[in-house]
Amino acid sequence: MPTVIALDVSLSMRRRGSMIGNEYSPNYESLTRHQLALHGINTLLHYLQVNSKLEFVSVIAFSSLYEIICPFTRDYEGIRGKLRIIDECDKTFIEGALHGVNNVIMAEWGNATACQVILITDGNPGVGPMSLGNSLNSLNSLNTQDATPFPLPFPYPGKLSIVCIASQQDPSLQIGLPLYQRLADLAGSDSIVLVPDSPLSKHSVMTCFQKLAEANYVSFQGYLKCGHLGSRILLSPAPIVMTLMTNIMKAYARLHRLTVENMAALCMLNNEWYGFIYSWADTKKKSNLMLTVLEPGSDIVPWLGNFSNLGPLDTVKSSPVSFPVRPTEKRSYTQNAPSWIRQVGLQSDIQKILRHARKLPDKTQNFYKEVNRLRRAAASIGFIELLEGLACILERECTLLPPNLNPDCTIQMGHVASMIRKPEFHELRYNIPPARTKFQPGS
Amino acid sequence: MYPANHKTIFVLDHTPYFGISTESPLEFDFLKSRGQNLIPLAPVCKSLWTTSVEASLEYCRIVWDLFPTGKLIRFVVTDRAAYVLNSWSPLQQNLNHASIMNGTAILGVPTKTPEPGEDYSVIHGLRVAIETLNECSEIQHEKRTSLNENTNKLINRGRVICITSARDNSNMKNLENIFLNELAQENKNALSSDHLIPVDYCHLVILNIYPNNIESQVTSQGPREVSSFLTVEVHSIKASSLHSKLSHLILSHYDLASTTVTGIPMKEEQNASSSANYDVEIFHSSAAHTAILKGNPQDSALIKTFRRFEEGSEYETVTLKWCTPRGCSASEMQNCTAMYRITPVDVNSRPSSCLINFLLNGRSVMLEMARKAGGKTISHLLAAHGGEIFIHTLSTARSVLEDPPSISEGCGGRVTDYRITDFGTLIRNNILVPLKRTSTSNTDGLVEKMRSRLERHTKYWPMTFSRTLMFNLKHVYPLPEIMVKDELTTEEVLQCKQIIFSLLGLEAKHEALPLPNIGGGRGGKGVRREEHYRLLWDEIETFLKHHANNSAAHAEVLNCLLEIRNKDEKDKVELDQALRELDSFGKEDGTARVSVIRATTDSPMSPPASVSIPLAKQLHKGNIAGSKSLLDIWLQRSAPKERKPDFHGRISSEGLKAKLYPNLKEVGREPREAMLEG
Repeated sequence: MPTVIALDVSLSMRRRGSMIGNEYSPNYESLTRHQLALHGINTLLHYLQVNSKLEFVSVIAFSSLYEIICPFTRDYEGIRGKLRIIDECDKTFIEGALHGVNNVIMAEWGNATACQVILITDGNPGVGPMSLGNSLNSLNSLNTQDATPFPLPFPYPGKLSIVCIASQQDPSLQIGLPLYQRLADLAGSDSIVLVPDSPLSKHSVMTCFQKLAEANYVSFQGYLKCGHLGSRILLSPAPIVMTLMTNIMKAYARLHRLTVENMAALCMLNNEWYGFIYSWADTKKKSNLMLTVLEPGSDIVPWLGNFSNLGPLDTVKSSPVSFPVRPTEKRSYTQNAPSWIRQVGLQSDIQKILRHARKLPDKTQNFYKEVNRLRRAAASIGFIELLEGLACILERECTLLPPNLNPDCTIQMGHVASMIRKPEFHELRYNIPPARTKFQPGS
Repeated sequence: MYPANHKTIFVLDHTPYFGISTESPLEFDFLKSRGQNLIPLAPVCKSLWTTSVEASLEYCRIVWDLFPTGKLIRFVVTDRAAYVLNSWSPLQQNLNHASIMNGTAILGVPTKTPEPGEDYSVIHGLRVAIETLNECSEIQHEKRTSLNENTNKLINRGRVICITSARDNSNMKNLENIFLNELAQENKNALSSDHLIPVDYCHLVILNIYPNNIESQVTSQGPREVSSFLTVEVHSIKASSLHSKLSHLILSHYDLASTTVTGIPMKEEQNASSSANYDVEIFHSSAAHTAILKGNPQDSALIKTFRRFEEGSEYETVTLKWCTPRGCSASEMQNCTAMYRITPVDVNSRPSSCLINFLLNGRSVMLEMARKAGGKTISHLLAAHGGEIFIHTLSTARSVLEDPPSISEGCGGRVTDYRITDFGTLIRNNILVPLKRTSTSNTDGLVEKMRSRLERHTKYWPMTFSRTLMFNLKHVYPLPEIMVKDELTTEEVLQCKQIIFSLLGLEAKHEALPLPNIGGGRGGKGVRREEHYRLLWDEIETFLKHHANNSAAHAEVLNCLLEIRNKDEKDKVELDQALRELDSFGKEDGTARVSVIRATTDSPMSPPASVSIPLAKQLHKGNIAGSKSLLDIWLQRSAPKERKPDFHGRISSEGLKAKLYPNLKEVGREPREAMLEG
């Protein structure tokens, strides 16, 4: 998952961090907190280089403002180069830094990508307007409507790791720790606060970052099985474990290599939990297998039906199958049921009846189909007023017909007008039948 | 986990008052323009009853379009008594089911002549509504009766939407108090019942409607927690606004969002030669918008617009622009992160049905979102699958899947001679299709069956050409395809035998095996040719043994092969077995192979481990097997067979092995005869 390293570059980071021996002793070490932080970052980058090459890393430096030192990249060497040219600035402003982190992540990855945020500071929460204590206090006051919301919790699935480059005995760290912990609690998702072991040294900082890396960048290994065939696999990025039941992923995959067939394999991740594996190729002739993890359950993709109803093609030669699987019930938009909530719907239904009426006796079937459709719909919602209205409009229509029209028009319309007023046709089951005339086919 | 929208009950007032007109005339006489001397028709008005039935059915339409399962709605009609129109059964949860529409049709228009002495009241309906809430839905029943430890944690939530008309606020308050008391009482009853469950939480929504020409004495009230298990809200509205009120409320009841697809080019109804742009509003789960609305606030402000209703109720709709579909290459494809059903708000309007038909005909529509910084991003896709329309949320951000390494850099390493075409055949032979659900018992073991089928198809399946001889030879086909079947016809058995005999014929004619893939075609003479045949026969035997247990017919094919081989070279089998064990001794491949064979056939007489060693290596000069001269082989064959008794000792041990080969003890020469019986 993408990582943002937010490095405190306030003046206080230039204080001496470690002092071991004196300049004449062989293990002499005298480094500023900033230098220690860089050792830590390099440890992390080294770990990624060896174990998790696909992670994107961005570095931002922050003081009262923030600056993107390096946008997201997998070029860890490039990051190292840029780390060497960071200048010191004024004072620490953690809230601002987190806003910066959020901006960087949201702009690049949106709100759906899980990210790691590693905030490196000197363990001094500061005092006054930009201090961490002040930020957290303003969080409690309710008049936050005008200001931008507090950057935590992250608007994306994010984990915050705060590393304080400070000696365990540092008095300001003792004040700061509860505040940092508060931040971690706000961030949620197992966010943590880390302080290197005592005494503070290059070694303890590097150990601290090594642990951080080992905990946060666990590669996801699994075994993909297809009958008696199988292979070890590595999932990258590691899927976010959503449920308790994921221990070791056992994938009973249908297939191993799908490049040639343009197909996807359904694989079983766990009991009642499935995914799809398919070939994924970029333009550079690199191909790979992609795993799509579906939500747990066996009835997840509506048009495939329940996965437990899937079977081999050859056993079903006798019973025809429909693909895609259609729902047992049609949706309203495929049913053409009348809807008179808006006046237009009602008008177009009546218009249709009158249009067919003028073409009688040819359109007898359509005419009665539409009449009965309207009659049924009106009856089911008790819209008796409409039936009376239709009777009136049909009766008036009879008087308006041009003389050259078939006399059956008048007869049928008059027939419907009288029938539709009768209470028995206010029941759903009785359709109004056409009047028998010499113009009707079969008469 | 237990949402209040799992169970909803509409209580429809059917008392005589609801027969009155809404006094909201409908313009259905559109012929006015035709002439001056037209007799004007009296305007048509819906009754309060018609309005409430229509609006509640529309509510159902939206819910069931979007959530075909799990969101249950029941209807209770109330006048002198309460009438329950449908049950919680999933079969009665759709508008096509006769129960609801028939029910309202049979009840008809509320009576104009009330029976004296009868108590026409909405209270009957509310009481029955609570009783129905006490009934378990199927899902609840399942949860309740499951032997899971969470059983007692089932929380019964529900919503009652009552469309009625009250005189004034005190009347409304009274209604609310009665409901609260009834709820408490029914919960007590439910506790002492086996099949009823108490209501843990109820959301009562009262829609007080009145004709347009009346001022109501009832005032609207926002949601109030009347008790820990009851929240009440009252909306007092003109009957003509009922539908818009409900379609506003439905958004919060089911956490829906509205999208307006704008700029849909459509031919005009009157003038087909010109086209104009139309908008269509759709509803769907609000989660379809999280990605864009939780993103850049300025962008989301830009795409949000408000729809205003008569009664001052308003809601947000996200405006997305129609993108005329065009071809799209794989590299331009965006990841789909989520997918939800949609339904048009105005189902029968011309623009709606135009969009719907476009999608149902199999085409898809990209939706474009405007960005504050200028430019546009495709954020959604509308497409139909199996007669249902879905909105797909597309990822607009950078993907972490960018530039993945090639699979050859992964665990398996780089291998160039995979049997790709054969694997394609394996894939095609194991394609999954949706089967008709004939009966539940029939499909129960389908997944298991499919897995065992796949295991059968891959029982003996060398991944690369260098690890197999038989799959390199056209002559062997279609033997492998036939043998993986679970049943064989007599013809197929015959066909397999013929293949074996024709191979035997080739060997007899001293013809070299054409093995282009492993370079065996050239100079296949002498030792090499014989060695090829020996390895081939061994491999076929291995293959057939893996499948011998499929059926008696499968075993018959194996026996045919064994008979031929035994006849020809009687002692050879055991000897070669021993030799090969020696050969593979100490090689990691070989040991792995042996364990696999043991696991699958459970026999010490299992086929030789020849295939375990890459064939190319075996054939390579200087290798142990390849460098053997005729003399070496002869010497080895005629060498004393000390190892043999060792085998007998193992075979005659108690247990399954002894059962499988009973003849072995007596004869010792025809052990394979026993395979059939085993």
